Amino acid sequence: MTEEIIVSFDQVEKKYEKETVLKTISFDLEKGKFYTLLGPSGCGKSTILNLIAGFASPSSGTVSILGKDTRDTPPNKRKINTVFQDYALFPHLNVFDNVAFGLKMKKMNKEKIKSKVTETLKLVRLEGFENRDIAEMSGGQKQRVAIARALVNEPDLLLLDEPLSALDLKLRTEMQYELRDLQQRLGITFLFVTHDQEEALAMSDEIMVMKEGRIVQTGTPNAVYDEPINRYVADFIGESNIVRGRMVRDYAVSFAGKTFTCVDGGMQPDEQVDVVIRPEDLVLTEAEAGDIQIFVQTQLFRGVHYEIMGQDDAGNDWMVHSTRQSEPGRRVGLTFDPQDIHIMRINETEEAFDERIEQFATAAYEKTSKGGAGQDD
Amino acid sequence: MKQKQKWATVYLVLVFILLYTPIFYLIFYSFNEAGTMNQFSGFTLNHYSALAEDARLLIIALDTVRIALLSALIATVIGTAGAIGIYYTRQRRAQNVLLSLNNILLVSPDVIIGASFLLLFTLVGFQLGFYSVLLAHIAFSIPIVVLMVLPKLEDMNANMITAARDLGASPIQVLTSVILPSITPGILAGYFMAFTFSIDDFAVTFFVTGGGFATLSVEIYSRARQGVSLEINALSTLLFLVAVSLVSGYYFIQQQQRNRKKLSQLDPTVHEKAVTP
Ligand SMILES: Nc1ncnc2c1ncn2[C@@H]1O[C@H](COP(=O)(O)OP(=O)(O)OP(=O)(O)O)[C@@H](O)[C@H]1O
Ligand SMILES: [Mg+2]
Repeated sequence: MTEEIIVSFDQVEKKYEKETVLKTISFDLEKGKFYTLLGPSGCGKSTILNLIAGFASPSSGTVSILGKDTRDTPPNKRKINTVFQDYALFPHLNVFDNVAFGLKMKKMNKEKIKSKVTETLKLVRLEGFENRDIAEMSGGQKQRVAIARALVNEPDLLLLDEPLSALDLKLRTEMQYELRDLQQRLGITFLFVTHDQEEALAMSDEIMVMKEGRIVQTGTPNAVYDEPINRYVADFIGESNIVRGRMVRDYAVSFAGKTFTCVDGGMQPDEQVDVVIRPEDLVLTEAEAGDIQIFVQTQLFRGVHYEIMGQDDAGNDWMVHSTRQSEPGRRVGLTFDPQDIHIMRINETEEAFDERIEQFATAAYEKTSKGGAGQDD
Repeated sequence: MKQKQKWATVYLVLVFILLYTPIFYLIFYSFNEAGTMNQFSGFTLNHYSALAEDARLLIIALDTVRIALLSALIATVIGTAGAIGIYYTRQRRAQNVLLSLNNILLVSPDVIIGASFLLLFTLVGFQLGFYSVLLAHIAFSIPIVVLMVLPKLEDMNANMITAARDLGASPIQVLTSVILPSITPGILAGYFMAFTFSIDDFAVTFFVTGGGFATLSVEIYSRARQGVSLEINALSTLLFLVAVSLVSGYYFIQQQQRNRKKLSQLDPTVHEKAVTP
């Protein structure tokens, strides 16, 4: 069964005067999924949305919607709606008329508009606010009006450009749940833009990580978090320990002066690699019992856990998230499982990476999950 | 410090007295029983009733209003379109040039504008009269309208236009259902200013009027030259009252706008907390 493709980018490039903002972007968006574009400010996330919505056109390559090239389709003829970062509500209209705007433009009859708007306002939990002025709504409420205004048109795809960034933390978390819930109930495809990795991990079916006009990795939140393709992604998605290492052979990597069993392979023997271990995968033990030993430098209480920073004998910095506390100046051991070690080749393309992961990670997982973790070199 | 403030107040009062004394002097004598402004001999409304019977003056008054209403209306339409045009001009330089051209028209002396219009009309053989005055008034009102409307356009959230197109609005629909409603206060203010300027104008009208057609300001001027008549005082008083009411009307509109703005700047969360359970 092939999924229906809503939007497809094929080798899309976008230039503004001299600056190339998007560089050969290709991806497909399948119907009914929640996609997230994740990347730092200025990497071209909004530009991608503009290309889909039709407010900009590609310098080269094609953007197709439902299989049709969109070159000559103006924004108002696309069944795609946007929720803007600053909401862009119409201050001269009340809540009802804001939501009804799209339907009125389509000259739908009054009764139908009324029932649809009422229904949609209910969906975003704003019933009874119909006659409010926009100026009288709070940030979170405005946000929901903006969502309702887009959703009422029953778009094939909803674009959301950092819609939660203006909200405070609590409201933002609440809206994350609501948006995710809404998307699953309605089955509409969402393309969500954010530079907040936690938000991306919490909400998405699929994350596209961007860097300077390129998509560097696409995958489920788990895949992107557990198997980042390179240092950039590993760093951007959550905090991690990234140390230089050397691949001894398949399933064996050497770093911090020792060789460890891991679940990766497919590199050249003795190839230089980056080794990633997440701070929460490191377990604190007595110095002798540890796979590696670190000297604790600082410790911060972070609420749920302690954040412990230390250095090993080879001079690598390690960050540990632990529910147990230690104290600065002590020498402690760290243990970890082979699955917790993630190896990244330097300058690997996404295709090669995916292929290698496919080939090795799954097979290796079965093989090593019984065996022990560290072995001395 | 206090001393300084006191002097400032005194100065201000003096200036206002200086400015308003002639007007009140004029108004005062419009009720004078004697036909001159030398001596007040008793209260009368005779000059006003004479005014009411002066058919020619009545026609001129009506013409003046007609010119003002019509020229302000047309200037508002053209000026608003012009402002939108300038707003949409992508290139900064072209935008600045257009704006400068607009402002030069605004600050150039009426005499020059009047004289150049006269030149133009005689050159193309346009008959001086109602239409020549109307055209001239439209022309000098357009820059005023542009100046009132443009800031409103720039205040408008440009994303709103994007949002409207995103929601399926055609370019015409964007104009009628987003842009125009957003700049309505500016358009109204522009109309109002154009109207006042038209009523007010003497110099330009003086140049381009002819064929027996006159506006009140021109008529008052020519009558005043012929000699003192308290009818002119009465007429001026009425005009002064009209001006005062116009200004207070304008003030009222602005006040209302300001209140709305204040309302929108209030912390909305306070309200929300009170309303949502
Ligand atoms: N109309 C434009 N003309 C010229 N350059 C532009 C234009 N729009 C965007 N850019 C440039 O393109 C780059 C990407 O912009 P874009 O808005 O897509 O970034 P973004 O990823 O959405 O960033 P943010 O998270 O800050 O919103 C930026 O360097 C920006 O300066
Ligand atoms: Mg952006």
